[in-house]
Amino acid sequence: MRIAAALVALAAVAVLPNVLSPYHVTLVLPALAYSIALLGFNLLFGYTGLLSFGHALFVAIGGYGAAVLSSKLGLRSFEAILALSAGASVAVAIPIGLLAVRYVKIFFGILTLAFGMLFHSFLFKFYDLTGGDTGIRVLRPSLLGRAYEDLDKTTWLVGPFYYYCVALLAILAFVMWRLVHSPFGLHLVATRENRRKAEYLGVRVRFFRLIAFSISAFYGAIGGAILAVNTGQADPELAYWTHSGELVFMTVLGGFGNFFGPVVGAFSFIFLKDQLVGLTQYWRFWLGAILILLVVLFPRGLSGLTERMWARLHRSTPS
Amino acid sequence: MSALVEAIGVGKRYGDFAALDGVSLAIEAGELVSIVGPNGAGKTTLVNLLTGLVPPTSGQVRFKGEDIAGIGPVMLAKRGMARAFQLVHIFPELTVAQTLAVAVVSQSSKALRFFTAVADDAAVNSRVREVAAIFGLEGKLGTPSRLLSQGEKKLLDIASAFALSPEVILLDEPTSGVSSADKHGLMKNVVDAARRAGVRSIILVEHDMDLVAEYSTRIVAIQAGRILADRAPAEFFSDPGIVAAIVGKRPPRMPPGAS
Amino acid sequence: MTAFLDVVIGGVFHAAVLFLVAAGLQLVFGVQKIVNLACGSFYALGAYFGISAVSWCLARGMPPAYFLPVLIVAGILVGLIGPFIEALLLTVYQRDEAFQLLLTFALVLMFQDVLRFFWGADPQQLGDLVMTYGRVKVGALQVPTYNLLVIAASVVIAAGLGAFLQKTRFGRILRATAENREMSLALGVNVRWVYASVFTLGTMLGTVGGALVVPTAAASLDMPVELVVEAFAVVVIGGLGSMRGALAGALVVGLLRAAAISWYSELEMLAIYLVVIGVLVLRPGGLFGRPLE
Repeated sequence: MRIAAALVALAAVAVLPNVLSPYHVTLVLPALAYSIALLGFNLLFGYTGLLSFGHALFVAIGGYGAAVLSSKLGLRSFEAILALSAGASVAVAIPIGLLAVRYVKIFFGILTLAFGMLFHSFLFKFYDLTGGDTGIRVLRPSLLGRAYEDLDKTTWLVGPFYYYCVALLAILAFVMWRLVHSPFGLHLVATRENRRKAEYLGVRVRFFRLIAFSISAFYGAIGGAILAVNTGQADPELAYWTHSGELVFMTVLGGFGNFFGPVVGAFSFIFLKDQLVGLTQYWRFWLGAILILLVVLFPRGLSGLTERMWARLHRSTPS
Repeated sequence: MSALVEAIGVGKRYGDFAALDGVSLAIEAGELVSIVGPNGAGKTTLVNLLTGLVPPTSGQVRFKGEDIAGIGPVMLAKRGMARAFQLVHIFPELTVAQTLAVAVVSQSSKALRFFTAVADDAAVNSRVREVAAIFGLEGKLGTPSRLLSQGEKKLLDIASAFALSPEVILLDEPTSGVSSADKHGLMKNVVDAARRAGVRSIILVEHDMDLVAEYSTRIVAIQAGRILADRAPAEFFSDPGIVAAIVGKRPPRMPPGAS
Repeated sequence: MTAFLDVVIGGVFHAAVLFLVAAGLQLVFGVQKIVNLACGSFYALGAYFGISAVSWCLARGMPPAYFLPVLIVAGILVGLIGPFIEALLLTVYQRDEAFQLLLTFALVLMFQDVLRFFWGADPQQLGDLVMTYGRVKVGALQVPTYNLLVIAASVVIAAGLGAFLQKTRFGRILRATAENREMSLALGVNVRWVYASVFTLGTMLGTVGGALVVPTAAASLDMPVELVVEAFAVVVIGGLGSMRGALAGALVVGLLRAAAISWYSELEMLAIYLVVIGVLVLRPGGLFGRPLE
């Protein structure tokens, strides 16, 4: 049932460029990017029970990977950029993860926050290498070998690049779906539910957490690369801890207990923020207020809400 | 024949306090050994040593001839020993089937399979159903663990240890919290299931002396960190000194044909 | 030698202010097990309010020499939002830590705009007011007396907190509730009241810290988010939940930062994060904290 709904949604997203104005379509791009990044984040948070306040680190690695590879090293193939950035992200995740998965709850959060800010500090201060607070430009990559030179930036973004990202989201979501329903996924959930019991049932808790952490880094980097290509720039704010906080916000908004929650959250947040920014300069205040409402009243997020409504609908209709 | 589980002169000190001192114990295949004794006598420490949770400060602990000092629960399960606890541990959100599947999968080579759906795995599913049936839980396979009754949770806890297909299973007060009427039924189930499942020995920690008398092939009494006695039930309960120290004045009901 | 002294005094001054914020964090974590991401926001609130209070008083003819007590009073006053925030946190007490973190993160977002609403987007400062107390000669150095006064104030507060926790009845109740909430409840302690008081005290420590820093630094909208990281570094290095840890951690971070700025400014925060990570690797409980997992 849910899969059917998801496929419908996917089809709807795919045809958006034909329906919406280019401005709105360029809003969907970050939503796609965040959807991917958050699918990875939720593997760690929703399924494994580890709250990272440094996921933005991997998003930033993806962004700067795209920037450095395209503008400094002249690499234009988006596939290569994605592969290398994601690879770098996983390479960074492994040592951090080896350290971090020994801890849970708040200590995991603080440690990941520290690593994220470490990277931010590096990006900010080492001007010669990283462009400091301006960051590094991201040049338009080629998609599956095609450069589309005749298209101007916006047309390319809402055209070939858009469809490419939708396809990427579909593929990565499918992979994640298989992952969470696999024995590996079951073990992750077991470690979340009761770590000690999981160990007594033979689950290698730390090892699996490390794998989940690395996978989340992979997805985060891909999301970051898409974000950077969209804006044309990779800047240090990608790695700031409040960006990590926003990622958590989006996930909770969409509902972390649900596979599709992160995607719902990414889309909702982007559009919510866009609306709020248009309405008032104090949009952060309202965003914060909404987060409080969410935490206090709707901890299962939007997808939790729809699940409840769905259940109520089914109960009230005669069978 | 080398013993399945052995403790050789083990001692465990915490600072100045000797929780265990010079304890030697061998458990062979086919035995059901009960460990009894008052609280604080060192039963828990001994059990933690035998299951590789803590290393001994002196002496050795062996399982199937290999040293298992402090190897931890994960390696223990891999080597073939399972432990079920007195306090019920469950995975609240996981169903009965999923809980059992965790154990079944971790023992197979499938743990690191990323792509196949657990729900579709016929081998896993049939083993899960098998174990559930032994404990009467087959009707609750789809129920989330947090919705089970306390007794059912207890059964699930023991069942999940069984689902590991262990060679040795250590049951830590399995009938605590179970009503008196159900105790014998549970024990009988567990012992029969163990036999059928190919479990080679059972180590039992119990306070209920009736159960101990009925099911043990051997009883080990611990007192003040030392072994007080290590005898078959008949000899154990016919020794008034031991009975007084461990049981109190009245010896338990002995099964017919014993003594 | 002069340069070294400069670093030490600058570092200790920074540590003095950091200690106040970290002590607030530790108190709240120790007793209520809540990690308050909004501690930086309280700090900034104290800073901005302090500036407003002093400016208001000066405009009404107060002699400049009284600005220090005004700052302290301003800090305490604005810390009175504590009970209200704590009431909000009530809703997530028994829930997963993630929700607590998210709630305080939401507060960070909201405070960001609250500060902007009342005080605007430009940094604010008190100009040369810090010079009112003149300078003092330490070795070959001229150190603003104000800085030494703040260090002294912080030491007094630290000692006071220590005495309060160890010697007074309420302090004992606090420590008991921190160890075992259920037991305290069973013994008739009004845990609700304890929580509200502790949180308010923690908030005030933060707001006073912010107020004390403004003569030497501008209050800006970056303060809330930047301070959090330093405060967390202090708390991790010192050990979560430990007051002595707050002191030790604050000194480490303050001195490290002063040294880094002085010698290799690129390293500034980087050095601190590396130390945090190093501490977590080698001594996971921090210098004074309890071990984890």
